[in-house]
Amino acid sequence: MENNEKFKLQVTELATRVNGEVEESFGVLVLKVNAPYIIETLTAAKQFADGPCDFLHDLCGMDLVDHFEVVYQLTSLRGSQSLRVKAIVNRENPVVDSVTRIWQGANYLEREAFDMFGIIFKGHPNLKRIYMWDDFEGYPLRKDYVTEPIELRNITRTRIEGE
Amino acid sequence: MSINETEELILNMGPQHPSMHGLFRMVIHLEGETVTKIVPKIGYLHRGMEKLAESRTYAQFIPYTDRLDYLASPHNNWAYVQTVEKLMGVVVPERAEYLRVIFGELARIASHQVCIASTALDMAGWSAWSYAFRDRERICDMYEMTAGSRLTVNIMRIGGISAEPPAEFWPALQSFLDDTPEMLEEYYGIFFGNEIAQGRLKNVGILSKELAENLSITGPVLRASGVNYDVRKAEPYSIYDRFDFNVPVRNGCDSYDRTIIRMDEIVESIKIIKQALRDIPEGPIMAKVPKVIKPPVGEVYHRVENPKGELGFYIVSDGTTKPARVRIRPATFINLQMLPIVALGWKIQDVVAIFATLDAVLGEVDK
Amino acid sequence: MDALYNLFNVLNNVFVNIAIAIRSLFADPHSVWANLTMDVINFIIVVIIVVLAALILILLERKIAGWTSQRTGPNRLGPRGWFQTIADALKLMGKEDITPAGADKFIFKIAPMIIFSLPMMTLAVIPYGKGMAPLDLDLGIFYFVAISSISTLAFIMAGWGSNNKYSLLGAMRAVAQMVSYEIPLLFSLLGVVMITQSFNLGVIVEAQAGLPFIVLQPLAFGIFLIAGLAELNRAPFDLVEADQEVVAGPFTEYTGLRWGLFFLGEYGNMTALAALGATVFLGGWQGPIFLPGFVWFFMKTGVIIFFMMWVRWTFPRIRIDHLMHLAWKVLLPLSILNILLTGLGIYIYRLVMGG
Repeated sequence: MENNEKFKLQVTELATRVNGEVEESFGVLVLKVNAPYIIETLTAAKQFADGPCDFLHDLCGMDLVDHFEVVYQLTSLRGSQSLRVKAIVNRENPVVDSVTRIWQGANYLEREAFDMFGIIFKGHPNLKRIYMWDDFEGYPLRKDYVTEPIELRNITRTRIEGE
Repeated sequence: MSINETEELILNMGPQHPSMHGLFRMVIHLEGETVTKIVPKIGYLHRGMEKLAESRTYAQFIPYTDRLDYLASPHNNWAYVQTVEKLMGVVVPERAEYLRVIFGELARIASHQVCIASTALDMAGWSAWSYAFRDRERICDMYEMTAGSRLTVNIMRIGGISAEPPAEFWPALQSFLDDTPEMLEEYYGIFFGNEIAQGRLKNVGILSKELAENLSITGPVLRASGVNYDVRKAEPYSIYDRFDFNVPVRNGCDSYDRTIIRMDEIVESIKIIKQALRDIPEGPIMAKVPKVIKPPVGEVYHRVENPKGELGFYIVSDGTTKPARVRIRPATFINLQMLPIVALGWKIQDVVAIFATLDAVLGEVDK
Repeated sequence: MDALYNLFNVLNNVFVNIAIAIRSLFADPHSVWANLTMDVINFIIVVIIVVLAALILILLERKIAGWTSQRTGPNRLGPRGWFQTIADALKLMGKEDITPAGADKFIFKIAPMIIFSLPMMTLAVIPYGKGMAPLDLDLGIFYFVAISSISTLAFIMAGWGSNNKYSLLGAMRAVAQMVSYEIPLLFSLLGVVMITQSFNLGVIVEAQAGLPFIVLQPLAFGIFLIAGLAELNRAPFDLVEADQEVVAGPFTEYTGLRWGLFFLGEYGNMTALAALGATVFLGGWQGPIFLPGFVWFFMKTGVIIFFMMWVRWTFPRIRIDHLMHLAWKVLLPLSILNILLTGLGIYIYRLVMGG
C-alpha cells in the first residue's frame, strides 16, 4: 500500500510538470496530458524512481468525437505497477510524437493507430498503413467513418488508374 | 544489366505459401541463401474486429473473440468476458471459475501442441506433426462434448460458462492427464532430441533480453529470453493465485528455447488442471447477470496470459448497450515485430523456423 | 533333395534360360540381329522395372508415412488401398498441362524427360541375377555415377526454365548439393573397386560369394547411404524440393504428367541407387540357395529403400550450411580415410598372403 502511495505521488508530481491531470479508474492511474508533452511524460514514467513503468504494453488510438486520444498502457516486468497515459490529440491536426525511440515495440502499434485513426506519429521510421491496403481511403475506426455495404461501395467507388 | 553486376533476389513468401501460418506474407531480400532484409506484410485476414465490436452488444461480441487466436479460443473468450465482468462488477461463481481455468489450460496445451507440431512441420518433421495433432484431437473432443464445437469453442459467457461438462468429460480429461508425460516424451524423442532439429534451432535467431523488453514481446517468447514474467503470477486474474505452479523460464534466447519452453508450459498446465480437478466445488455455473448488459460509464484494461503472449482487452463503455471502443491487444501482432530484426543474416530455412517458433496465428495478428 | 535343388536351379536361371531360348531362335545366336532383339527386350524390361517400382514405391512411401506418423495411409481404393497410385496416375494424366507464360519453353518441357530417362539408363547396368545384367559394362560403376550426375543438369533446367524464383532457388540448391555429394558417393564406392580390381558390377557381385562387402567396408556403406540420400534429394536432404521454404523447388510450375515424370524419375533413381547399394555392398543376387538370385537382389534393394523411407519420415530437414559442412568436412575426409584404410588393408593382406 505504501508503495502505491509513493507511486501515486510520483504520478501526480509528473502530472503537474506536464500540465496533465490524474484520474483513477478501476484501480489504475490514468494520466491525461496534451500531445506535445507525451515524450516527456513517457520518458519520465519509464524512469520513475519507485516502480518504473518501463514496458509499453499497448498503444491505441481512440476517437472521442471532439478529439482523439492515444492511449499508452504502461506496465513493468519487475513489478505490479501500471499506468495509463492518454495523449490528447487535436482532431483537425492529429499529430503526436512517435515513441518508437523509447520503445521499438511501438512501431507496429503506431502504424495501426495511423491506419485506423489517421493519427500522424512524428518521427516514426515507416508510417504506412498496416492492415488496410495502401490506397484505402478514410480511417475506419473514426466515429464519422461511414460503413457502407460492400455492394454499394463497389458501385460508387471510382477505380484508380492502373488498379 | 551487365554480367558483372548482381542484384538481390526479392522473394515474396506468402500469403499463399506452405510455411506461412495463415495469410502472412513477407518480402525477403536474399543474397544467395542469406536474408538481408525482411518486410512483413499483414492484413490479409483483417476483419475489423474493433469496428465490429462497436456495432454489437457486449454479449454478441463473444463469438467474434473466438476468431482471434483460433487455436486457443477459450482464452480469447475469457479475456473478453473478464473485462466486461470487471467493468460491470459481476462476481463469477466458484465452479465457473474452476471450469474456466480447466478449459483455459486445456486450450493452452492444445495451442502449444500445435506450435510444436507446426515448428516440426516447418522443418519437415512430418511424423512429429501428426504425433502432436493426435493428442490435440483429444482436447478437441473434450471441447466438443461440452460446447458442441471443436475449434471456435465459444464456451465463456459474461458471468460464467456456457455449459456444464457432461459426465464422460471427466474420465476423458483424467486419461488425457495421465497420458501427457508419455506424450511429451514422444515429442522429445521424435523432434527435440533429434540432432538435426537441434542443429537447426539451437543458437539461431537470438532475441536478447533487452531487445525483447524493448519490443514489448510477451508470453513464451519473452520467457525464453530469460525474463521471468507471467501475468498469471504477476497480476493473478481469475483464481490463478490459488494454484501452485512454476513459470518456466529459459535463458537460451534462441529458436530452440522458444519452442521447448512450450513443453515446460504444458507440464505446468497439467499441474494446474490437476489441482483444479481436486478443488472444484459443486454449484451454479452462471452468475446472475441482467438480460440486457449495460455496463456503467468507464474504461477497463484487462490482460490475460494467452498461450502466445498477453492478450489485452481495453473496453470503454459509454453507458449504452454497445461498447464505445473495444481495443484488442493481440500478442502475436506485437511479437511479430521481432521477425525482421532477429532473422536478419540467417538463411531462408532459419527464417521459416524462427517464424514458426513465434507461433503466430494470423487470426490474432490481423484481428 | 536333388530334385529340390534342381528346382531351385531352374528357378534361379529361368530368365537366363529364356534369354538363351530367344537367342536360339536366330540362326547365329550372337549375330547383330540377335543382340539387337535382346537389347530391345532388355530395354522394355528396364522401363517396366522403373514404372513398376514407382507405382509400388509411391504406395509404399505413403503407407510408411502412415505407419511412422500413426495413421493408416491410403486405404480406400482397392484392397488395403493398393490401387491408390494407379488412381493418382490416372488423375495426373487428366490434368491440364500448363506451361508458364514466361518460361523457357523448350528447356521447361525437356527437363522432366531427362530426369525420367536417367534411371532407365542407370538400371541397365545392374546385374539382377547371375548373368542377368541387361548391359554388362566393364565400367559399370563409373557409368552409373556419370549418368546419375546428369540429373543435376535436369534440375537446373527445370528451375531455370520455369522462370520462378522458388524454382531457381531450388535448382541452385540442387547444384550445390548434388555436386558436393557426388564426390563422397564415388569415393565410398572406390574401396570396393580397389578390392575387386574391377568397375564391373557383375564381377563385384561374384566377389561377394563368401561375404558381402558391407562387412569389409562398413564405413563406406554408411557414407554411401548418406551421400546417396543427398544425391537423391530425399529427406533429410530434400532441400531442393523443400515445401516449407521453396514451395516445391524446380517442380513448382509443373502440372499433370510432366510433374508425374519427375516423380517417376525420383522413384526410379531411388530404385537405381538402392540397387547399386545392394549390388556393391550387400552382395547383390548372392544369397542362400533356397531363394532365386533375383529375389535376393530385390529383397536387398527393398531393405535399402525401406531404410530411405524410414529416414525420410522421421528426420527433420537439414540446413543448407550444415549440409555443405557434412559433405566437405565430414564425409569427404572419411571417404578418403576409407580409401587409405582399404589400401593399407590390401597391402597387409598381400604381404601376409604373399600375393
